[in-house]
Amino acid sequence: MLKNYFKIAIAVLKRRKFFTFISLFGISFTLTILMVLTAFMDDVINPTYPDLKRDRSLYIGHVELRNSKEGWMNRSSPSFYFLNHYAGSLKTPVNMTIFSTNTAASAYVNNKKVVLDMKYTDAAFWEVADFDFTEGKPYDKSQIDGSQPLTVITEKTKADYFGGEQNVVGKYIEADNIRYRVIGVVKNPSVTSNTYYASLYLPYTLSKFNYKNTDIMGGSNAVLLAKTPVDREKIRKEYAQLVTKIPTGSKEMDQLFSHADTYFGDKVRGLMGSGTETGQRRFLLMMSLAIGLFLLLPTINLVNINITRIMERSSEIGVRKAFGASSKTLVYQFIVENLILTLIGGLLGVLFSALALNFINQSDILEGLHLSLNFTILFYGFIACLVFGILSGVYPAWRMSKLAIVTALKAQ
Amino acid sequence: MFKHLFKLIWNKKKQNALLITEMLVSFMVMFAVFSMAVNVYRNYKIPMGFEYENVWVINLANSPKFKTADSSVTYYRNVRNTLMSMPQVMEVSYSSSNTPFTGSFMSTGYKYKGKQFNNISYYQVDNYYKKAFNLQLLEGRWFNKEDDAAAYRPVVINQSFKQEIFGNDAAVGKNLDDYDGKTDQKRNKIVGVVADLKDHGDFKPTDRGIYSRADSGFYKWMSRIIVKVAPSADAAFEGRLYKTTAGMMKQAVIDIEHFTKKRDAMNKENLTPIIITTILAAFLIINVALGLFGVLWYNINKRRGEIGLRRAVGASGNSVSWQIVAESMVLATLSLILGVFFAVQFPLLNLFDLSTGVYVNAIVLSVIFIYLLVFICSLYPGKQAAAIYPAVALHEE
Repeated sequence: MLKNYFKIAIAVLKRRKFFTFISLFGISFTLTILMVLTAFMDDVINPTYPDLKRDRSLYIGHVELRNSKEGWMNRSSPSFYFLNHYAGSLKTPVNMTIFSTNTAASAYVNNKKVVLDMKYTDAAFWEVADFDFTEGKPYDKSQIDGSQPLTVITEKTKADYFGGEQNVVGKYIEADNIRYRVIGVVKNPSVTSNTYYASLYLPYTLSKFNYKNTDIMGGSNAVLLAKTPVDREKIRKEYAQLVTKIPTGSKEMDQLFSHADTYFGDKVRGLMGSGTETGQRRFLLMMSLAIGLFLLLPTINLVNINITRIMERSSEIGVRKAFGASSKTLVYQFIVENLILTLIGGLLGVLFSALALNFINQSDILEGLHLSLNFTILFYGFIACLVFGILSGVYPAWRMSKLAIVTALKAQ
Repeated sequence: MFKHLFKLIWNKKKQNALLITEMLVSFMVMFAVFSMAVNVYRNYKIPMGFEYENVWVINLANSPKFKTADSSVTYYRNVRNTLMSMPQVMEVSYSSSNTPFTGSFMSTGYKYKGKQFNNISYYQVDNYYKKAFNLQLLEGRWFNKEDDAAAYRPVVINQSFKQEIFGNDAAVGKNLDDYDGKTDQKRNKIVGVVADLKDHGDFKPTDRGIYSRADSGFYKWMSRIIVKVAPSADAAFEGRLYKTTAGMMKQAVIDIEHFTKKRDAMNKENLTPIIITTILAAFLIINVALGLFGVLWYNINKRRGEIGLRRAVGASGNSVSWQIVAESMVLATLSLILGVFFAVQFPLLNLFDLSTGVYVNAIVLSVIFIYLLVFICSLYPGKQAAAIYPAVALHEE
């Protein structure tokens, strides 16, 4: 039966090449956009180098102080002290790292300017994040405690600063008027993986900012590592429990909020959350609304074309009905035909997305960004195809099944 | 004639309803795109109001801290003298961190004769700021030494803010109260009016702004040094400027940026979403155009008998193709009436922070666009209809 439908569908597609072209153009283009978007989201949400333990990690990126009476609010990243003192006292995490947000500094080599993003880290940073070293090794705890001017640089920094030199370990890089000895070189992290992204990694004891400062806010982030993904819930609760006991340290602010979130949760909270509100519901609502609106026009267009195509086949439908085919069979047949059409469009869409992604990767719009298609994305693409095919097929099929036999046969 | 067209459309209302929906949604898409485009274009036409070529900014983090305000003032006076003594430095000025093209906002409120003015961009700058950016003075004067010992707090406001408070009256010499209306402090006395600065990039509008003269407390938290350099200043000089600054402030983290580059980065940031939306809209419209074309074309084929009959009783080819085009235009009109009804709600309900002029322009542009689109899409099917021979068409029946 299905094989028959398939044959009919192909025959119909061949008959009206122009309509086929319009339908395929609409479907494949829409899917390309959706798949590029999914690939981007996939890159942002799923573990990418060097953030490979993301499914076991919890991120603390914000602390928020509030005055519940006046509604004043102050939100920023926590201080090193805050993270070390409070988050550091948690029992469940198996490892934890604290590092600063990036500060930009200029370096000048051979009358050329290189802007460096500096990140100050502790020693555990190199255990929690999975950096690939192409040269040398990371600095360890004793070197950090000794405030040795060491640095780990990325390959991009190596190319920018040292030009074509082969081995740079042991050489000196001058940034922010201090000479640092290069101890290791790592592969470039992607800008989208912005937790760990930087171009120059330094021991936190070298920071010009006072890391002993006991203020609550102050430009640091922490990543807590759980033993298993499930353990994260325990850590989250333990941290939430702990936060309720932390004093706000100021007379004007009476509430303090800080959360250990998953990667996605932390990003969404940064964009839309506040207080105890995670912002995830709002984020999902806005995303689905945007995608829905975007899909609306191609769907209406496809419905329009499908109706036209179906009416063209009214004599065929009339004959089948006259010989006793039920409305249900006809609707089913048409939806299957339409799904075949959408799937062909989907295949083209995959092809176009591969080209588009290749273009995005080549053009280097975002530093270190490398998007690719994988099974997750293809799966979402397939789901989108099905939804699209059914949505645009149901109404025309219903219209067709309502056709009276006499009119259908007479039309030709 | 039109009555007849309406009758024809009404007879096929089911199919036409879908076409109308499609045109309606296309209209809304175009309305959104044009609103954005018109807004961007209007902002682009606003003059910059300042010069940023060869102006650099030294960003200081962790700048030196002093026990007293006076010692910080003395310290930064010396820093300025040292930088000014460098050969290619033309001007040095201190500013709060909301320098142009940074995306950093500071705002405050004021009262004038009991009337409240909120969300005024607030800049704290020194005597040399005007010269560094070559601001255009419209009235009064910029800050200078005579403000040092003044009993009032001197402020300069920009044209938009002046227009809102004083209209066409003179502003210089008037006093503004703080937002809480307390008058026991030093009064804010307006000493000058400058042209608006378009300091959030080429495609963003100007704000109402006020410039307050840097007081001694300001220097305790100093973080931005604006340096105007000679056109001949190059990267080697930038390196020297960096060394000199870093030599004076051992503890500070220093970063030098050029305002031309900051402007480019900001423009890119503002334009990227607009470009992406435009590309998406363009593809959607191509999609719709092809769809409309296909459906109209098919409709002609289905009405061969009717058209053949019209030709047989004497209608010319032109009048037949005119009828096809006119039918589509009536359909477009119906959907546009609906669309404009929805679009008008945006300025009426003030949904986004855009002026009514932008919406009106956008509505007009998108109406023209949809008419053109429908006209072009129905032109060829119309022509095809005109080519139908009555004998052939009627023979089929």
